[in-house]
Amino acid sequence: MADAMNVGVNLEAFSQAITAIQALRSSVTRVFDSLKDGMKNKETLEGREKVFITEFQDNLQSVNRDLNELERLSTLVGRPSESHPLHNSGLLSLDPVQDKTPLYSQLLQAYKWSNKLQYHAGLASSLLNQQSLKRSANQMGASAKRRPKVQPSTLVLPPQYVDDVISRIGRMFPDMSIELFRPNGTSAVLLVTLGKVLKAVVVMRSLFIDRTIVRGFNENVHSEDGKLDIWSKSNYQVFQKVTDHATTALLHYQLPQMPDVVVRSFMTWLRSYIKLFQTPCQRCGKFLQEGLPPTWRDFRTLEAFHDTCRQ
Amino acid sequence: MGVTCVCQLPLAEGKSVQQTIDILHKKLEQLGAVKQGSFTVDCETYHATGNASGQPTKLLYVMHNSETPLSCLALFEGGPCLTADGNFDVLMIKLKSHFQNAKGHKVESRGSRYRYCDFLIKVGAVTMSSSARGISVEVEYCPCVVPGDCWNLMKEFMQSFLGPSIPELPSVFSSKPEGLYAPVDCVDTMTQYLELFGRVRKQQVLPGTTR
Repeated sequence: MADAMNVGVNLEAFSQAITAIQALRSSVTRVFDSLKDGMKNKETLEGREKVFITEFQDNLQSVNRDLNELERLSTLVGRPSESHPLHNSGLLSLDPVQDKTPLYSQLLQAYKWSNKLQYHAGLASSLLNQQSLKRSANQMGASAKRRPKVQPSTLVLPPQYVDDVISRIGRMFPDMSIELFRPNGTSAVLLVTLGKVLKAVVVMRSLFIDRTIVRGFNENVHSEDGKLDIWSKSNYQVFQKVTDHATTALLHYQLPQMPDVVVRSFMTWLRSYIKLFQTPCQRCGKFLQEGLPPTWRDFRTLEAFHDTCRQ
Repeated sequence: MGVTCVCQLPLAEGKSVQQTIDILHKKLEQLGAVKQGSFTVDCETYHATGNASGQPTKLLYVMHNSETPLSCLALFEGGPCLTADGNFDVLMIKLKSHFQNAKGHKVESRGSRYRYCDFLIKVGAVTMSSSARGISVEVEYCPCVVPGDCWNLMKEFMQSFLGPSIPELPSVFSSKPEGLYAPVDCVDTMTQYLELFGRVRKQQVLPGTTR
C-alpha cells in the first residue's frame, strides 16, 4: 500500500521533471539558434552588438533558470526504491505490456531455480565430501602419506602380466572377444565385443579399470582417424544407460590387493548383458519400461531388472 | 539400422484410412513418442519383355526409401536384389525394350515418422493410383541387430499401441538361419514393404476395380 502511494507521488514529480527537461532543452536550443543567426541588421555597429549581447544574456539566464528548476524537481523525484529483492529488475513488474513479454515472471522463475540449484549443490557437495570414493591417487590429508606405499604394487605391473590376465579372462568366456590395444604407452585399452549385442571400450590403468563406454554392436568404436574412440557416448539410450550401470559396477567391484579378480568379476558381470534384449525384468515381468529393456544387472545374482524396478 | 518389422494395420471399425491413422498418431503421442519429419516408400513395377522362350514374364520391382535417399533398390520377383545409386531410374528408361513400366501399378506409402526412445515408428497411408488402400506400420528397434533376440521386446512395444493386431515374426527373418543379423542396407525392410504392397494390390482386385 505504502509502495503504491510512493509510486504515485513519484509519478507526479516525474511528469513535472520531464516538462522541465523539455523547457531546458528548448531554451538551450534558443541559445544556439541566436548564436547561429549572428547579429541582426542594425544601423550602427554598437547597436548591433548591444542587441546581440542582451539577447544572448537573456537566453543564458533562461537556461540557468530552467536548470535550477530541474535540479529542484530532481530532489523531489528521489532515488528508486531499493527495498525490492530483485533491485532495479524488480521494476520490470511495473511494465504494462507484461502479457506480451513475460520477462518478469521468467526472471522470478530463474531466480528461484538458481536459488534451489545453489541449495542442492551445497547439499551434494557436503554429502560427497563425507563419502569420497577414494579411487584417485591425489587424496588429501593423512591418507596421502600412506598412499605411495600401496600404489607401486598394484599400479606398476609389467605389461606382460596384464596381457596374461586379460587373455586368461578372454578364454573363460567364449561368447566374448577381448582385444587389447596400447595406443598411448603402457596403459591398455580393451575392446570387448559381446556376442552380437554390444561393444565396450574399457580403459585400464595397469590392472585397474579406469573408465568404460558401452556402445551398440552396429556402432563405430573407432573414430574417423582410425583410433579407438574412448570418449563419445552411444547414440542409443539403452547403451547410455548400460554405460552408466557399468560405471557403477566399476566402483562396486573393488579389491585393491587383487586387481585381477576385480577385472574378472567385472567381465563376468558385463557378460550377463548377452541377453540384454531377451530377458524380461525379474520384478515386473515385462520387457519394456519407458521404452527401455531391463538394463540393470544385479552385482551378485546377475539378474535383470529395469532401472526403476531394482530397489 | 536395427531390426525392422513392417505390418499392415486393419482399418478401425467404420473409420476411413485417415481417421485410423489419426487415432494411431494420438496413441503414439500419448505414449510419449515425438514426431520427427515424414517418410516415403514407393515401388514401381516393370514387366520383363522380349524373352523369346515363352516363359512367364518375371516382374521387377524398383523401390525407393526416403531413409536412404541416394539409393534405389531393384528386386526381382523371388530372385536376387540389387542396391543401386539413385539414377538407376534413368537406366531403366534406357532399358525400355527389356523392361516395361507397368503404369498405374505404382504403390506408395507416405506418412509421419515418430521416435520413442530407441524405437522408430513410421505410420503411412498406402496409396495406389492416388487412392488410399491401407495403412502400413513400420517399427524399428535401432540398438539391436539380431531379430530373434529382440522380437519379444518389439512385440510388447507394438502391443502397447497397435492392440491385439500385432504381426508374427516377418518371414524374411524366420527363413534365415538363426543369428544372422539384419544387413546395413534396408533390403529386409524393403522386402517386407514389397510383400505388404503385394497384399494391398490383391486386396484391390477383390472389389472388381480396373486400373
